[in-house]
Amino acid sequence: MTILAIESSCDETSMSIIKDGTTDLGTVILSQIDIHKLYGGVVPEIASRSHVESITIVLEEVLNKANMKIEDIDAIAVTYGPGLIGSLLVGLLAAKTLSYIYNKPLIPVHHIAGHIYANNLVKRLEFPLIALVVSGGHTELVYMESDYSFKKIGGTLDDAVGECYDKVARVLDIPYPGGPSIDKMAKLGKDTYKLPLPLNDSSYDFSFSGIKSAVINLNHNELQKGNTIRKEDLACSFQNKVVEILTKKTMKALKEYNVKNLIVAGGVAANSGIRSSLEQECNKNNINLTVPPILYCTDNAAMIGAAGYYAYQKGIVSDINLNAKANCELGENI
Amino acid sequence: MKYLFIDTCSNSLIISTIINNKIDYFFIDKNNNDTSSKVMKVIEEAVPDIMGIDKIFVVNGPGSFTGIRVGVTIAKTIGFCLNIPIIELSELELLATTNTDTKYNVALIDARRGYVYAGIYDKDLNCYLEDQHILLNDIKYPIDYTIINSYDNIDLLKIIKKHEFDEPINPHNLNPNYLKRTEAEEKLDDKRN
Repeated sequence: MTILAIESSCDETSMSIIKDGTTDLGTVILSQIDIHKLYGGVVPEIASRSHVESITIVLEEVLNKANMKIEDIDAIAVTYGPGLIGSLLVGLLAAKTLSYIYNKPLIPVHHIAGHIYANNLVKRLEFPLIALVVSGGHTELVYMESDYSFKKIGGTLDDAVGECYDKVARVLDIPYPGGPSIDKMAKLGKDTYKLPLPLNDSSYDFSFSGIKSAVINLNHNELQKGNTIRKEDLACSFQNKVVEILTKKTMKALKEYNVKNLIVAGGVAANSGIRSSLEQECNKNNINLTVPPILYCTDNAAMIGAAGYYAYQKGIVSDINLNAKANCELGENI
Repeated sequence: MKYLFIDTCSNSLIISTIINNKIDYFFIDKNNNDTSSKVMKVIEEAVPDIMGIDKIFVVNGPGSFTGIRVGVTIAKTIGFCLNIPIIELSELELLATTNTDTKYNVALIDARRGYVYAGIYDKDLNCYLEDQHILLNDIKYPIDYTIINSYDNIDLLKIIKKHEFDEPINPHNLNPNYLKRTEAEEKLDDKRN
């Protein structure tokens, strides 16, 4: 089964053609990051405007890349949420129009389900598994017993981890997006600044607003005292705490659910600190760890095409009235 | 010749088909606030077989930013996939098709904070004041005009006839005509100046 997938939930216009949920026949990702850099973050209205300008260009490119016609496609999968509503709508309307023109099934895919299934493009998922989804908009721990069954066991109560990285980067005067830069700086620094371990409790939830405020206050106080901040050291101290809590709660979930498979997904899965910490712990505890390549970590339509295949196997299809949702829970009825 | 007309720019969702200069199907929902979920259903009803369409007329603004994108995305996608010519139309000119006793029609759409989108057209839809985003108080009115801000008596055939043989636009180049930059862009410019 061949699926044409569309993803436009934030600032990437992406389309992909995926065979049987595992094989990427062609993916196009048009990132708007250079536009949003000027503003220090994603501007929703500018993102929506860019999506509509490029939507058919991306469609033409992906068909060329896969050397296919839309007639050869069996179904259309699309991210219906969560995300920026104006951005989601462009991809959604394109998907609905294609479904209407060619009379193909329309498969609604939850963005987080997509991130999880990005791993399926590398290696077939093995169940049961725990998925740690970490990105600019999401921080979630999900338990999966089988294909396309999701049980969210924890999530952030406030900022997403990637969002927190971007905000800390702003304090340190690092241009947007800050995550990758902090990761690099952290490697050069030492863990010398005392920061709290965020939401260190027995739940699977996360909270990153506290550590963000702690960094802001620390920076402010040091500047007041006339001290200069050692940026590399602060980056290292911050990253260590974030990595520690993510690792701690993820390993706890694996143990309590008696699960031997861990997958990490989302843009922050590219973070070297998180990767190496989880690798170490997984080795120690005999856990199979899968992390997708960078290309599939950040937002892309390939992951939507992979997830869409398993959604379709479960009978998840939508009629032409499908609407976008800015907020929606994984596994809820659409 | 069979044409599909799409206007999703305002709360009045309008979908129509025109066959040989006669309206064959006309849908208007004046209090629509759910265009994105409804619109395809209406198009499906209006045009069960999209292959029979010779031309698409799409209103690409001004109006609700999100609304404009809905219609433009649909038109672009159909136009690209099936190679159907697309003609873009102005929402203000559409309003100005309303039949009145005056020489000019002043089409106005609320743009908030004292601003409007305005365009002034004569009876033959010749433009007197080009479509623009302007303070309501700054509009210079011609002599003998009527203000039009409702879709109650628009004349769809009039605007189609006027633009029927316009040069079609490449679907990749069809874009919304917002007439207004985003606030973020305006602020960035202010900062730079």
